[in-house]
Amino acid sequence: MPKLTIDGREVEVAPGTTLIEAARRLAIHIPHYCYHRGLSIAGNCRMCLVEVEGVPKMMIACHTQAADGMVVHTDNDKCREYRAAILEFILVNHPLDCPVCDQAGECKLQNYYMEHGTAGSRVDEDKVKKRAKAKQIGPNIMLDSERCILCSRCVRFTDEITHTHELGITERADHSEITLAPGAWLDNRYAGCVVDLCPVGALTDRDFRFKCRVWYLTAVDSICTGCARGCNITIHVNRDRPHKAGGTRVMRYKPRENPAVNQWWMCDAGRYSYKQIDHERVDSAAVDGRPVAVEQALDASAAALKRAAAAVAVLCATTATNEELFLARALFAGALGGHAAYLAPPQGEQDDLLLLADQSPNTRGAQEILGTEVRDPVGWVKAHGVKAVVVVGEADLTGLKAEVDHLTVIATHPGKAAAQAHVLLPGSVHAEVEGTFTNHAGRVQRLRVAVPPIRGAVETWRLLLELAGRLGHPFDFAFEDDIFAALASQLAPFAGLSHDNLGRRGALLGSGAPQPTEVV
Amino acid sequence: MEAVARKPGTVTPAGGVKRGPLTFWERVYVVEAARGVWITTVHFFRNMGYHFLHLVGLAKGRQAAVTVQYPEERRYLPPRSRTRHRIVRRDDGSPRCVGCMMCETICPARCIYIVAEEDPDPNIEKRPKRFDIDLGMCVFCGFCVEACPEDAIRMDTQMVDLAAYSRRGMILTLDQLLAGEPAGPVESINALGERVHG
Amino acid sequence: MWMDLAIKAGLAVVMMLIVINIAGIHSWVERKQSAVIQDRWGANRAGFTLNSPLWRWLNPLLRPIIYLGLFQPIADLLKLVAKENWSPVGGMKWLHAVAPFLYLLFAFAGFAAIPFGDTLHVAGRDIALQVASLNVGFVFIFAMAGLGVYGIVLSGVSSNNNYAFLGAVRGVSQMISYEVTLGATVIGIVMVYGSLDMQEIVRGQGALLWGWLPKWGVFVQPLGCILFFTAALAETKRIPFDLPEGESEIIGYFTEYSGTKFGMFLLADFVETVMVAALTTTLFFGGWQFPYLQASGFVFPWGAEVAVGHYAVVAIQVVSFLVKVIAFCWLLMTIRWTLPRFRYDQLMDLGWKRMLPVSLANIALTGLVILLIEAL
Repeated sequence: MPKLTIDGREVEVAPGTTLIEAARRLAIHIPHYCYHRGLSIAGNCRMCLVEVEGVPKMMIACHTQAADGMVVHTDNDKCREYRAAILEFILVNHPLDCPVCDQAGECKLQNYYMEHGTAGSRVDEDKVKKRAKAKQIGPNIMLDSERCILCSRCVRFTDEITHTHELGITERADHSEITLAPGAWLDNRYAGCVVDLCPVGALTDRDFRFKCRVWYLTAVDSICTGCARGCNITIHVNRDRPHKAGGTRVMRYKPRENPAVNQWWMCDAGRYSYKQIDHERVDSAAVDGRPVAVEQALDASAAALKRAAAAVAVLCATTATNEELFLARALFAGALGGHAAYLAPPQGEQDDLLLLADQSPNTRGAQEILGTEVRDPVGWVKAHGVKAVVVVGEADLTGLKAEVDHLTVIATHPGKAAAQAHVLLPGSVHAEVEGTFTNHAGRVQRLRVAVPPIRGAVETWRLLLELAGRLGHPFDFAFEDDIFAALASQLAPFAGLSHDNLGRRGALLGSGAPQPTEVV
Repeated sequence: MEAVARKPGTVTPAGGVKRGPLTFWERVYVVEAARGVWITTVHFFRNMGYHFLHLVGLAKGRQAAVTVQYPEERRYLPPRSRTRHRIVRRDDGSPRCVGCMMCETICPARCIYIVAEEDPDPNIEKRPKRFDIDLGMCVFCGFCVEACPEDAIRMDTQMVDLAAYSRRGMILTLDQLLAGEPAGPVESINALGERVHG
Repeated sequence: MWMDLAIKAGLAVVMMLIVINIAGIHSWVERKQSAVIQDRWGANRAGFTLNSPLWRWLNPLLRPIIYLGLFQPIADLLKLVAKENWSPVGGMKWLHAVAPFLYLLFAFAGFAAIPFGDTLHVAGRDIALQVASLNVGFVFIFAMAGLGVYGIVLSGVSSNNNYAFLGAVRGVSQMISYEVTLGATVIGIVMVYGSLDMQEIVRGQGALLWGWLPKWGVFVQPLGCILFFTAALAETKRIPFDLPEGESEIIGYFTEYSGTKFGMFLLADFVETVMVAALTTTLFFGGWQFPYLQASGFVFPWGAEVAVGHYAVVAIQVVSFLVKVIAFCWLLMTIRWTLPRFRYDQLMDLGWKRMLPVSLANIALTGLVILLIEAL
């Protein structure tokens, strides 16, 4: 086990560990562009130069392996001088594009220049112009070769992660640029990740292009709802400037590192699924297609459910959070003595990187909480003699209305389910509630409130609580974490888990406190 | 001797004015009041006389009042005074603004609303689709001018009479901002002083 | 009898019109004079232009009127009339409405005793150019001025506003304080001319002192004149004695008034100014007397005589009276734009500790002089 000293502090690391990783163990940040933990080491940007005592030249921290007794300096005058010089080199041909560049605000060039840069450039020559300024290289990606610092992260990504090899570097010296392979088009399922990887504004997202400046955005940790993988993301919300992008609140998703789930990546299908949060939402309750206040709709629903007595059922889509599923179960299967089940999730494509066929984020959670999967709602309702049904979420309910006396749908988007409803209640999407999803592997991960429920809508769990109150079975839950606490105390796999101890990475089912000896 | 030092008041080293006790005639008040009335009367007849002469087209060179007759007469504000905004045009007439939103970001009153769009020219790349300034909220701090990296927004129109019949009317759109012109040759404040006070 | 009534009514209307017009013009003078004194422009915008081809030629004539701001009083009036007739919540609505009427009424009533010309002989009738030929005219005027206090008291009390109430209290105490001096100074005049009838006092001023100096009050009672003028100024409650209602700085008794009722207070203020001017003229500056003008014509001290017809004499007298009144109005206005406001303690000091003793001394001195002259 090599033991080395970095900036006067000793650290012991595994053999083969690079200096940059060793420094990270000590929370020392070494500036870098080309190095990325998810990619191979290129060592071309030279930004991570550090001084190793006894070595005459500066060493790149990303590719120098730690050795026993090494003494490393990352922040002395020599290091700072080298960094400033490297930055000056990198900026020789970088255009002063920041006003029009979408990367401004989250640009490593900007940040390091402010931190380590020199005041002005000593290069008088004109900047080298590349062939085209802003060029589309894929359905969602723009390339600006002049901004590129040739760190090759994107090339390595297409070579090593997606194995699609669309990108390469052509030409020599200061004419080098990122080029598409002949006949290629950067349209693989994970193409959006090159934008996240690009440390400068060379690769930008066409979807996000010019919509909003990044410093207007608030980042909220959440979970992607595209498939059962449950990729960790941050939701970027524009809270204060509603004139941007036609009032859209959620501007983009960015993947969030979670080695156990998605590493650093996410697929484009998930990346652009943010649009459904603000697009065509159900914004009013309705009774028989007539818009009414939410309270009235709840009254109407409760009255119908009362008439049906115990012949009630709840059918939840697997987009509902664990909390909502548990509330549905506690109310309908528990208090009312009816039935609770989940609707079979829709299936789609899958691949061997992240994307799974199950397109719902919480199928595993539904399995654990409700247990029963329903593929044919009409048949199921008939079989159980159900008179009144509450459906949470979107599903194909064709023919169900004819089979029951009453159908309440808590929907977020107008669709097949909403069209069927006797009583329609405007519910919330994942970005509007606190809660948890359980991914395909049984990892319970947290959602956080990124935006309040869209105008007119109410949090789905609150609608269920209101319904419970009106049916004479009030629950004593103030917030989502109360519901989760009840869930954890009643369902063995969730035991010991709580919103607080899930953390940023989530926790596997059954990994909580020792399971209770008596199952209630 | 003392009386001479007392009038019109001794300036103390600290800069204050020390006044002595009033004389008998000052205390009687009537005399001083009459003197005051005399001063105002002289002003009245001189100015009123000029007013009447001006009315019949005479003595135009003499001023009857020092007041500047706004809005017909306008004082030029000092060149650096911050007045209504305008957006500078390029040579081809398009706005110089590239929609970087620096002004929108720095604006402490949050009165600037920019929506950017793609410019057909890839070398310009970005341009404002919408650029509104809500003058009803603007505090005329000039930060937007300072922040602009393109020198695209300036506050040199010398327009200060900003009024509208509705809050909506106080919002300037891109077209209105582009229509703004810089004020003409700026008269110096000293020249103005000479014109007013002769 | 009906004829007498008609003549009196006519005289009253004439007097009323004169006073109201002079008072009305004050609102213009107040704006324009203050501006001109202070090297400003003052009102020079209110007005209109005619666009009809038929009347377009009038525009050059309208221009100087607009330039001098003569349309401004009309605009002011329209604004006041157009405003909401508002009464304060919790106030005494009726009294609140009545107060400005009372105030204006008593301000006007005093003019009944002011003579504006000698007796006019026309069609065999003797018409005294005085609305009410009272032999106690003097007392009547002071009674009316005293009753004017009620307008202030009522406006202050009925407004349901402590500031208005305090303003009324200040106003009343000021008026009462200065009425004492006012009365005392006039005693001298009464002693000199030996009458309470205003007409008689004016006639007495037609005499000559030492054969050349008109025997005007100001010459026989110089101290009394200054005291009277000052006290009368205080009675009008205008700067420098405007403590009851100091425009924007001090909240006063008509705080809760707006629109026409506020306008009436404003007008009453100007009417009082005219009253002071008329009283000063009548008591100290010969009233309608014109120097050396007798009923038959001019009789100069060096013996020359110019015969003037009766109607011309009366005309000269009336014009003389009006010119004097307007001159005093102008002086009052100038003083209002010259002097700064007194402090309230200074106001009371001046009234009780300075002017009252001096005016009493003036009476004693006058009596002494009269006795000496009679003894000689």
